[in-house]
Amino acid sequence: MTGPGALGGLRVLDLSGHRAQFCARLLADMGADVIKVEPPGGDDARRIGPFVNDQPHLDRSLFFWFYNLGKRSLTLDLKHSRGAGILLELARSADVVIESFAPGTLDRLDLGWDTLHRANPALVLCSIAPFGQSGPWRDFIADDTVLTALGGMLYVNGFPNHAPVRPLGLQAYHSSAYYGAIAVMIALLARDRTTEGQWIDLSMQEATAAAVEHVAGGYFERHEAEPRRGTLHWSRFFRVGKCRDGYIMHCTLGDWTSLVEWVKSDGKAADLDAPDYQQVMYRYLMAEHVFDVLDDWVKDYARDELLERAQLLRQPYATVRPPEALFDDEQLAERGYFVEVEHPELGCRFRYPGAPYLFNGTPWRVSRRPPLVGEHTGEILRDELGMTPQTLAALYAEGVI
Amino acid sequence: MPAMPLEGIRILDFTWVVAGPVATRILADHGAEVVKVERKDPPQLGNRKLGLQCDLHRGKLSVAINMQHPRGVELARRLAAKSDIVIDNFSARVMRSWGMDYESLTAVKPDIICISMSGLGHTGPRCNYVSYGPTLQALTGFTMLMAEPDGTPAGYGYSYADTCGGYTGALAALIAIWNRRRTGRGQFVDLSQFEAVASVIGPALLDISVNGRTQPSPGYNSQEGPAAPLGVYKCRALEGDDDRWIAIAVRTGPEWRRFVTAIGTPAWASDPKFRTLYLRMQNSADLDANVSRWSAEHSAKEAMAILQRAGIAAGVVANGIDLCARDPQLQARGFWPEVATAKGATTQVTGIPFKLSGGSGKVRSIAPEVGEDFDYVLGELLGIGRAERDELVAAGAVWR
Repeated sequence: MTGPGALGGLRVLDLSGHRAQFCARLLADMGADVIKVEPPGGDDARRIGPFVNDQPHLDRSLFFWFYNLGKRSLTLDLKHSRGAGILLELARSADVVIESFAPGTLDRLDLGWDTLHRANPALVLCSIAPFGQSGPWRDFIADDTVLTALGGMLYVNGFPNHAPVRPLGLQAYHSSAYYGAIAVMIALLARDRTTEGQWIDLSMQEATAAAVEHVAGGYFERHEAEPRRGTLHWSRFFRVGKCRDGYIMHCTLGDWTSLVEWVKSDGKAADLDAPDYQQVMYRYLMAEHVFDVLDDWVKDYARDELLERAQLLRQPYATVRPPEALFDDEQLAERGYFVEVEHPELGCRFRYPGAPYLFNGTPWRVSRRPPLVGEHTGEILRDELGMTPQTLAALYAEGVI
Repeated sequence: MPAMPLEGIRILDFTWVVAGPVATRILADHGAEVVKVERKDPPQLGNRKLGLQCDLHRGKLSVAINMQHPRGVELARRLAAKSDIVIDNFSARVMRSWGMDYESLTAVKPDIICISMSGLGHTGPRCNYVSYGPTLQALTGFTMLMAEPDGTPAGYGYSYADTCGGYTGALAALIAIWNRRRTGRGQFVDLSQFEAVASVIGPALLDISVNGRTQPSPGYNSQEGPAAPLGVYKCRALEGDDDRWIAIAVRTGPEWRRFVTAIGTPAWASDPKFRTLYLRMQNSADLDANVSRWSAEHSAKEAMAILQRAGIAAGVVANGIDLCARDPQLQARGFWPEVATAKGATTQVTGIPFKLSGGSGKVRSIAPEVGEDFDYVLGELLGIGRAERDELVAAGAVWR
């Protein structure tokens, strides 16, 4: 099934830097035509590793590849008045512009909301900034680590009396990107009725804070700061345990009777067969003791054997695996999670992580590999703006494209 | 007042725990009518009028339907016929067993959109695995690679897989609606939360597949280009609490020079071993020890102010009190809105991380009690008269 994709016909101009470019990627995956607008020297993300075979190069950054799969690339110097003019022309026929410049930058380039809205009243502008477009910290700067800190995502990971543990991956950015794509879709659906576009002011700090399940709730309920609890989940129903060949995640929310019968049959149940433990609330209160008993039980098991038996009994256990294990995972393989993308200029096909959701009518798909720097500059300016070869050559000579 | 962006969209919501409710609360905050279908006695996960449970279910309606009763199922099917989206986060077999799966529901609503946010997806050898956010984090690599310096796994203290899965579900719903308005067609979305959370470690997965590299635990090594200093540094205690830290990230040469000036140009900073970014990374243990001596003399808040004034990325490692009661930025932007509870009191909830120039989303009300909207849902939505409603209750098909 190839079809146009769920978002076929939607045109997105992606001006965002490395902190926000996952947002437009989410739309490209579903069929939007996303034009990544890069400075003539290439986007900053192209300088971030890892690189193919560890060879740094603008067209070999895996970091760039992941976030820009399916987009087209147009190089354009927005600081040049001619470049800003071209962007404005493109914005007339676009549905969405996504940007993550420091607040106020677009205005200085004469591409601010008022200008864009006048040029195309139906356009949606999504501005993604560390602290949003207002407030006393508006002009403060942050990277993902600082955002996880200020968003409350960092403090609660790790062990008491040790330094907090930072999330794997750039989850402050990813939460912001998801919210950005959600906000864009909400604005587009509103436009169906009003015909007007809107300006979205997204704060990455807020997106990070919203992604932390329990911290705000804990504060507003009990006026306390949630502590770090090691591997004990805040709910007190999960903790990491150690098998003879690696770690597993315990869970005490499955059918308690069958779990205890199993533990008992291994002679390791201690007092867990007491009737009180049938109550979820009692297991909550006694969590440390319950997990200590279960730790002693699992220590002689091989973790895969434990997992298979646990799942047969519908116990929500899991093995603690490295990400490499995903490539050998039968479930992901059967569902075709990893997809091959051809990079003809390298003569290789590479496996990319695939769809986060399977739409049966308008599937997630990879329309094209990540673009080389400026790969589509000529075709976009020619097809969309009717530029002649002479004009293109002049713009190139002036360093605008 | 302008209409909310999603006004007129109705969601029949079978979700529970966290991931599904996160998805539907985003839709509810923007004007969709979300009708929660629940059991009379759902698992007690906490007080719905406060805190997390209020955050999850706010702005929604609730009806308690007995899905074990054929007439309960019939009510649910009639509600589906009047809805745009039916969403669940059960494992694959549950909705099918009730005849509430996509194929069955197209008979009552041909353009229905069904979104199923199961743990591991509807197909494949492990589609019946039972999972929760923390177990999916274990399977995908978060728990192992969010490790202590000695390699002991720590992982998240919470279920990021659930919030992340929730965003994925909300985005799927919005995209499916957008497409339906243009094509007239609904569809089925099979969302595996396992796959959704695997997708947000994308660059690491590409490094494995392209370079064959085993992923190390990142610790405080940069995941977005080289930096040093980078990490969390211990600060002066605050009101007897010594678990106070500041996160600092210094990347470019100009940033390093501003950083050195901001911390008072200490002698150690001119040591040749810190001259370039490469050298600072090579000698990061020494560098971090020196930075920690500076940070220890300041409260986290002071340290952040000093560094941000100099244009350095730095921030308090916020605990719940910092986040909810002491953060001037979040307060200035109204990120913790107040909503009315019963008896004229109010409580604060988590806000919406984006504002819309044409009218932002809004937390409309606190979470409903189970079955609170019985009369509206059965009476107004389904047009069932009082006598029949009483009779359905008496028959055990629905609870009031």
